[in-house]
Amino acid sequence: MSDVIGADLPRRDAEDKLRGRTVFTVDAAEGGLLHAALCRSEVPAGRIVSIDLEPARRMPGVRAVVSAADAPGRYGITIADHPLFAVDQIRYLGEPVAAVAAETLDQARAAASAIVVEVEEYTPLVTMAQALADDARDLHPGWEDYDVLVEGGRRGRNIGWEATVVRGDTDAAFARDDVRIVETEFVAGRQNQAPLEPRACVAGYENGRFVIQTSTQVPWSVRNSTARLLGVREADVRVVVPPVGGGFGMKFEVSLEPFAALLARAAGRPVKLVNSRQEEMQTALCRENAEIRIRSAVTESGEIVAREAVVLMDCGAYGGEQPFLTSMTAHTLGGNYRLGAVRLVSRAVYTNTPPNGAFRACNGTYCTAALERHTDEICAAIGMDRVEFRRRNVLGDGDLGSTGQVFEGDVLAPMIDRMVALRDSAAPVERADDGRLYGTATTVGTWFIFVGPSAATVNLNPDGTATLVTAGVEIGSGSTMQAIPQLVADSLGLRPEDVTVRAADTDAAGYDGGVGGGRTTVSLGAAGVAACDEVRRKVFDLAAEMLEASPDDLVLTDGHVAVNGVPSARITLREVAERAQQVSGPISGSGSFTGIGVQPMSGCAAGHMIGALDLPVFAVHECDVAVDPDTGHVEVLAYRVVQDVGRAINPRAVRGQVQGGVVQGLGYALHEEITIDARGKVRQTGFETYRMPLSGDVVPVQLDMYEGAPSFGPLGVKGAGEVPILNVAAAVSCAVADAIGRPVSQIPLTPQRVLGLVLGRESEGVELRHIGPGWRDNVIADPDELMAAAGV
Amino acid sequence: MFVNGEPRRVHADPMTPLSGVLREELHLRGTKAACGEGFCGSCTVFVDDDAVASCLVPVGLAEGRSVRTVESLADPAGALSPLQQAMKDNDAVQCGMCFPGMLMSLTALLETNPSPERRDVHEALVGNICRCTGYERIVDAALTAARAAGAAVEEDAS
Ligand code: FES
Ligand code: FES
Repeated sequence: MSDVIGADLPRRDAEDKLRGRTVFTVDAAEGGLLHAALCRSEVPAGRIVSIDLEPARRMPGVRAVVSAADAPGRYGITIADHPLFAVDQIRYLGEPVAAVAAETLDQARAAASAIVVEVEEYTPLVTMAQALADDARDLHPGWEDYDVLVEGGRRGRNIGWEATVVRGDTDAAFARDDVRIVETEFVAGRQNQAPLEPRACVAGYENGRFVIQTSTQVPWSVRNSTARLLGVREADVRVVVPPVGGGFGMKFEVSLEPFAALLARAAGRPVKLVNSRQEEMQTALCRENAEIRIRSAVTESGEIVAREAVVLMDCGAYGGEQPFLTSMTAHTLGGNYRLGAVRLVSRAVYTNTPPNGAFRACNGTYCTAALERHTDEICAAIGMDRVEFRRRNVLGDGDLGSTGQVFEGDVLAPMIDRMVALRDSAAPVERADDGRLYGTATTVGTWFIFVGPSAATVNLNPDGTATLVTAGVEIGSGSTMQAIPQLVADSLGLRPEDVTVRAADTDAAGYDGGVGGGRTTVSLGAAGVAACDEVRRKVFDLAAEMLEASPDDLVLTDGHVAVNGVPSARITLREVAERAQQVSGPISGSGSFTGIGVQPMSGCAAGHMIGALDLPVFAVHECDVAVDPDTGHVEVLAYRVVQDVGRAINPRAVRGQVQGGVVQGLGYALHEEITIDARGKVRQTGFETYRMPLSGDVVPVQLDMYEGAPSFGPLGVKGAGEVPILNVAAAVSCAVADAIGRPVSQIPLTPQRVLGLVLGRESEGVELRHIGPGWRDNVIADPDELMAAAGV
Repeated sequence: MFVNGEPRRVHADPMTPLSGVLREELHLRGTKAACGEGFCGSCTVFVDDDAVASCLVPVGLAEGRSVRTVESLADPAGALSPLQQAMKDNDAVQCGMCFPGMLMSLTALLETNPSPERRDVHEALVGNICRCTGYERIVDAALTAARAAGAAVEEDAS
């Protein structure tokens, strides 16, 4: 093993970013660029009567105007329900109706606003309660005719997707006379990712192909979705990605690219399209708001004999990521603890609000908050210490997850012990006699690495350096620019600076699932290491001849091929690469990776795209808070994390990710919330009203990295960037509940809400009348059939 | 106006935000304009001796004044400024979008208060949002840069 792994190596992209030289997509400024603007609906719901594009075409500087007729397709992840432009119906305020390209941005905007859209308005269904009412209008009247891209989810009325879990005889367990039943409700707000670089792209049309430079996390999915929407071959779309100015999941789907592509083809010139901050606020693919009810049957000794839960996820006007994310409830809310029997349903609900999307630890943040609050209520009901209850019940080696997968290794319990040690080693948190209420909480969380397919090519250059070609994007986490070249350097015995990283380009690199879900270092890393294996084989074969040794005795180190144990017998990698030019041609290797395909127990999971976790990741978070009973203000006094990282490739980079992720979680827990008025309008139009954490709001996170948990990632690594946000809302909600001595059932915990809780105001309770009393009342599928399939 | 020490004549309407003129007309794209409303600080530049949100300054108001942007901090061919170097050494940078503004706000702080406390740094950054890093390393780097400068001054004196 070289000294490259586990080293705090500097980032190769830092210096340009500090000098202001990095060119993000939003900075693109090639000559002859046209600028584009979208004409967006000003109403949230209605039937389109007519659209008159003529006034826009006559405006000065206008070069192209396109609308629904130009984009025949629909896209989605499980169900292709989403057209590029509104067709027949408007489903959310801000929905694109037409697009314009003009010589200047002002001209494009003026022309877009000159388009006349006549709509017969419907009463918008802006909440899940409205959308689920018995007499609610169908948002997607033709839903049965949509292309189904993934089979298995039940659908109907305003439920875009339903995923269920059934394992064991829950009814019998709830009916036992030695159990207590504890029920918890929880409501979580919508959170905007708000990366500082908005969604932006530049498209051109060259030799009959679309060439799109864009700020995305998923070049390949942009390529494929754009082709689908435009009705062209996937091969006719090329996507290239310069450094991305933050994503956090919002750039995990196609967004502006097809509009710019259409305009570029129509105008015959490259077109730049950037969302204004206001557009980003109104139409961000936010973390969905959610509503949850959990019930558990627990014995006096603290055994959870059964659990039932209903999770409603607001997908907005179109499904997007949500149908896929319904899978996660099984592993987040259904995770953490050993359960006797379990029954879950999670439903993606259509509303007349902007579509939601993926956001760091999607679904996990609120499901973990609900679960951990529920766990504390169980502890209160049976009178057991909250840390002790967790230590006894967390998933360990050989335990079954909710869908019946068998977990490997004792990880969570030792992590809890490490948390206790971390707390004991830290300076005690002072509790001043200042009239404030103090609380603390320890929470656990289960997350996973979204593995999936990745490809990599490694070229050994004649000068003995290497070039790594993948579709991995650098979104700021450092995985692509730092961790993966570190793995390649380690494998080839090079210095990281001798590994050039090719910027993501779908014409150059093979398919990749995208940068997100904590997968980058694992999936792209594994593909990169596999590509290096091929390079090593070729290098060793050639060097064996040159050194007159057996290939099995060779090692790669310090830019040399050496005979193991004979320091003098070595040649430079450059010499081998040069020799290859003459005898075999240049050396390169290709590698690929996908998951290992862990399966759920037969019949347990329906409608799941992820029925079991290939690579689980665990986290233990603890925080101390002080609540001002007069103002409701919550101050976070200390924050501690024990995170399962598998193996830290670059510990300093992991620490940076943890600090950043926890702070985003604090915003989510305490003040960040997108709210939507009765007319479907997002109330927060910018950063003045959408308040994100500032430097003065944060505390330094104390971190203990837990290494050594089972992982099939390269060198045992697990992704570290996504999970830090997972149980922040849980830790804060539980700590606030501990401080005020009352249940907390809603986030964010704004001062007003906390004050209401402290004062015991009725209005602060949540009301989930649209969730039926039991699991059976909340499934479209036939409950008995589901039970029978699971063998109950 | 004088931009990074050079006299520049611009053609934009006097009401155009300075950030737009810097980015579009003068091609100084280090300055970002992430919100356009004065709430994120990514567009922070110096106008004379004050660090200001350039998205709120009509270019007409900068007439005849000196404007300094992030591009002026480092020596073009070589060394980063001590503050930039401290950011690099502390591995503070993630996506990088906030840094041009962060650096200008903190450069202003260090010019007026060479030995700031942690609290002073937080105060200097009330107008700068970073969505990636959780701030700690940015604050640490500013304090490191200040301490290093202080040590250098002492050495010179002795
Ligand atoms: S762009 Fe000027 S403060 Fe945000
Ligand atoms: S590094 Fe991304 S916004 Fe600060």
